[in-house]
Amino acid sequence: MSTAPDQPLVAGSTVPPTRRALSRLGLALIAAAGLGGCAMSPPQPWEKGNLARPEMTMGGDALDQRFVQHIYGSKEAASGGYGVGGGGCGCN
Amino acid sequence: MKTTPRSLLRLSALCLTMLAAPASWALDAGAPAPDLNLPGLKDAVTLAQLKGKVVYVDFWASWCGPCKQSFPFMNELQSKYGAQGLTVLAVNLDAKRADADKFLGEVPAQFTVAFDATGDSAKRFDVKGMPSSYVIGRDGKVAAVHKGFREQDRKDIESRIVEILGTP
Amino acid sequence: MAATDTRLPPRGGKAGAIIAAALSLPGVIVPATALADTAPERGEIAIKYLQYQDSQPDLSRIRVRAPSVYVMVPLSPKWSVEGSWVSDTVSGATPRYHTAVSGATRKMSDKRIAEDVKVTRYEERSSYSLSLSHSGENDYQSNAGGLSASFSSDDNNRTWNVGFGYAADRISSTNDPTLHQRKNTVEFMVGVTQAWTANDLVQVNLTLNHGHGYYSDPYKEPDIRPDKRTQSILLTRWNHHFSEMSATLKSSYRYYHDNFGINAHTVGAEWVQPVGDRWTVTPELRYYTQGAASFYYDPVYDPVVGAPYPPGYFTNPPQFISPDQRLSAFGAITAGLKVALKLSADWTVDVKAERYEQRGSWRLGGQGSPGLEPFRATFFQFGVSTRF
Repeated sequence: MSTAPDQPLVAGSTVPPTRRALSRLGLALIAAAGLGGCAMSPPQPWEKGNLARPEMTMGGDALDQRFVQHIYGSKEAASGGYGVGGGGCGCN
Repeated sequence: MKTTPRSLLRLSALCLTMLAAPASWALDAGAPAPDLNLPGLKDAVTLAQLKGKVVYVDFWASWCGPCKQSFPFMNELQSKYGAQGLTVLAVNLDAKRADADKFLGEVPAQFTVAFDATGDSAKRFDVKGMPSSYVIGRDGKVAAVHKGFREQDRKDIESRIVEILGTP
Repeated sequence: MAATDTRLPPRGGKAGAIIAAALSLPGVIVPATALADTAPERGEIAIKYLQYQDSQPDLSRIRVRAPSVYVMVPLSPKWSVEGSWVSDTVSGATPRYHTAVSGATRKMSDKRIAEDVKVTRYEERSSYSLSLSHSGENDYQSNAGGLSASFSSDDNNRTWNVGFGYAADRISSTNDPTLHQRKNTVEFMVGVTQAWTANDLVQVNLTLNHGHGYYSDPYKEPDIRPDKRTQSILLTRWNHHFSEMSATLKSSYRYYHDNFGINAHTVGAEWVQPVGDRWTVTPELRYYTQGAASFYYDPVYDPVVGAPYPPGYFTNPPQFISPDQRLSAFGAITAGLKVALKLSADWTVDVKAERYEQRGSWRLGGQGSPGLEPFRATFFQFGVSTRF
């Protein structure tokens, strides 16, 4: 057996070729990095009071996020993107 | 030296990289301490009026976790070595004075506190992390710089201060 | 015929799907950007009780109850260890696949236990972590590990994160005792977090993973999926603090693509609003849209053979095929509210309720998969946490 064919089985599903999707991703990443130039004014060490607030962390509440991402992973096809090292999902 | 096009190119490349290098000025030990003139709890506080004393300048803010631990330490320092000429001067860098007052309500300070919401003094002292402390000797020069605060730093900081107190 | 064997739950919406190991267990605990130089000053213990209930029109389906515990202990300024444990108990009638075909109406229950541990070493401007996790239930075992590192710039305003993960899963089936399959996945992630201004934090993460093994659903028929899966995910997040209101807006966008032909977009936003000194209210909204897998088929059945087989299934068998609703094209919306109360300097309690609905017609652009019933779920969480 090999990877999925490029022909859609039914109407309503789209299959952009993998290469195109990956280069779109790459462009998005470069664009995101390129935006680095505009209006960025990183704070001095004593100006980081607001960044130190718990609600400003990226992860947030660990148990909350894990549970919620786990539910979404079992109800939706997309999953992950937040970190590595997690176990496999039986949600195919 | 022969001025070949290649060596000229090398020289200009070197100059360009030096231009691009970030200004890495730092306030090192041995440099004269920048002056401070800031509002305190009651009166203004200046470094000039503390000439001849050893001054422990600490930059803190209400949101900085290690600052909660450094305050009891600074209280100790002030009471132990005040008689020998040590003055602890904690400069607050909160943008909102209310946050600083709240912190002081929870963590009492038995030493001099000054307020600088603009952060100008921190810039002149080249503060690289919170908290940062500078020991200024009796000669008005920076004798020691310390970034951050952890329980294990206490001994080292204290012994350094004793050393500096002993120096004229 | 196996297709109409209704004794056993179809995998897709089954307990197993919900209670299988969380995909990003230790990984979700990514170190906060500005704290790369020392271990956190205080430890934390959090207990959370989670409840999930899903339904499709006229029928209540699965209920999951999951108590969980999280502990983080700073061992020294240079080391910290954290771990968590969760036990999911699932009960209820099983969901339908293709909604028209009932998987079962018999009650069932199952249990999954998962645990993970992560050790982190902190250096002046970097940190290094090793994580291990395990999850087990009666037809699915997963063992995974990860290594990650973060590197901060001198001014601590930019942090690079990189991570590798590996998971080895073993799949069996309560339906078929001879089924013993494996699935191995390798994952790589790279990202950067930037303090954009004194009130803005921005993060971009790219994740690539590749898995080889058994992806079909042993409880669905017909269900034949490729034996490889490659996923690419781009996640961007932005936290903006409004100092006049003391509030924070947390927004995110995630793009997902895999070799099954699925493209998905997820957009989310949360508004963290402190009320007074002790309360925090956080409403949130999320929109998700996905295209169908290339081998998903609509609920249109062969006029001779009947459900669940698509027309021409036996005369012209497809290489890959699945009726799994989760591989169809749909859009989904979540609306939720979290309320947290600081009981003291060290103790916090929080409550969160979310409502989720999935509909073919909500797909972005409107070309959702036809013939499927909307899917709804309610999630509820109650937690207590303390710092020491």
